[in-house]
Amino acid sequence: MEPLVRLHGITVRYDGRRNGGLVAITDVDLDIYQGEVVGIVGKSGSGKTTLLKVLAGLIRPVKGEVVFNNHKLNGNSFRVGVLFQSPLLLPWRTVIKNVLLPIEILGEDVSKYLSRALELIEKVGLKGFENSYPWELSGGMQQRVALCRALIHKPSLLLLDEPFSSLDAITREEMWMLLQDVISHEGCTTVLVTHDVREAVLLCDRVVVIGGKPGRVRAEVRVDFKRPRDLKLQYTKEFNDYVVMVRGLLGD
Amino acid sequence: MIRLRLSSSRVLNSLVVLALICVVWELVVDLLSIPQYILPAPTSIISTTIKYYNYLLRNLLDTSIHALVGLALAATFSLAISLPLAYSEAVRDAVYPLITGFNAIPRAALVPLLALWFGLGSMPKILTAFLIAFFPVLVPTLTAMVTIEKELWELLRSFGATKTQILIKVGIPRAMPYFLSSLHMGLTSSFVGTVIAEMVASDSGLGYVILSSTSRLDTALAFSCLILLALITFVLSKVLSVVERRVVGWAYRVST
Repeated sequence: MEPLVRLHGITVRYDGRRNGGLVAITDVDLDIYQGEVVGIVGKSGSGKTTLLKVLAGLIRPVKGEVVFNNHKLNGNSFRVGVLFQSPLLLPWRTVIKNVLLPIEILGEDVSKYLSRALELIEKVGLKGFENSYPWELSGGMQQRVALCRALIHKPSLLLLDEPFSSLDAITREEMWMLLQDVISHEGCTTVLVTHDVREAVLLCDRVVVIGGKPGRVRAEVRVDFKRPRDLKLQYTKEFNDYVVMVRGLLGD
Repeated sequence: MIRLRLSSSRVLNSLVVLALICVVWELVVDLLSIPQYILPAPTSIISTTIKYYNYLLRNLLDTSIHALVGLALAATFSLAISLPLAYSEAVRDAVYPLITGFNAIPRAALVPLLALWFGLGSMPKILTAFLIAFFPVLVPTLTAMVTIEKELWELLRSFGATKTQILIKVGIPRAMPYFLSSLHMGLTSSFVGTVIAEMVASDSGLGYVILSSTSRLDTALAFSCLILLALITFVLSKVLSVVERRVVGWAYRVST
């Protein structure tokens, strides 16, 4: 089976004045298959966010190539949906208008996506909040709106950069289940960058461990739990075995 | 309802303080026998204001119109110029230091030149108001446009947004509360500018009335002008606050 996205020999160097010549990641090879949820774990500064930005087309590697559906890419030419740690909602826009923002940017007919936006909002449990402003919502609710915004334009790849790290433990667990539900409903290929090993093992089909300076792929671990996964899975021996293994691969 | 009651009690408190100041002022002038041409008593200022009511109102209108036209020009020009400055770092680097440098020139010193170029009348007044009000409106507006968070910028770029789209969808709406708030400063500045121009190069407006009345030692009339100027800028600033709350209520977390 051909991968949806193939990263081959990716090297990224930051040329900024502050971190002049810093090589963030080097020779990274990674295949991402259709419908798969891939976790990228690594310590702070290991280059996992850099890798995500390469996938989002925000950073152009100095070496290597990004191949999408067998076509070599030059910059961002496939649709991605991105969810960062902060919801980054626009405070002057209501929930529905925030969700529809990517459609406006893509220059598509907003009215055609209205029912999809309402459906997504309902799916994440925010029915009735369509006309609320972001500041009227809690942090978890804002992140749900941001998730809808990341999905509205039917991206080929959903990219999540530590999306739940600023939430409290209970809300985070709720968001894990919600994300799993939404991803399976949308059937979208997902890359989750996180430093939370438990989160990666619970949500992903495959966990890629990045480490070293500059960052390289150290190992890949396939997580063979059936879907949908339950929160109780965290308390099983098999789950903890995976967590211990991935944590071990991260190194000290 | 509660807010209205709070607000009216606050107004009442301010009026009580003002009345107390006036009483002390009146007593000081009376007890120390201060001549009226040095410091007129509040009662004298009130009677002068009533006596010259029509004359003062005509000149107040004259000053206000010129100041507001100057402010409107400053607001329009600030918005218009902040767009290319926000869009291009190269343009910003080239033009912004020039604007900052120009701001260092005392604008009052330009009034004789403006009078020389445009003659006495409306033009020097409007231009002085504009020149003084322009910078305080431009700086916060431009700053808000160019300080979009890096992550938000990256998020929009990941959707394929162009620089122009980011400016239109985020930069401009984000700058609106700063723009409207800076108009308060601009409003005061434009009145200062107009009054300065009226003192140097005009035969109408409250600035001219202040100059001519003090030269006749009619200090009470000059005080009437000052009080009217304070009143009009206060009222206009309140009107601006209402507009602000309506237009950019989101910035004040006001549900509309």
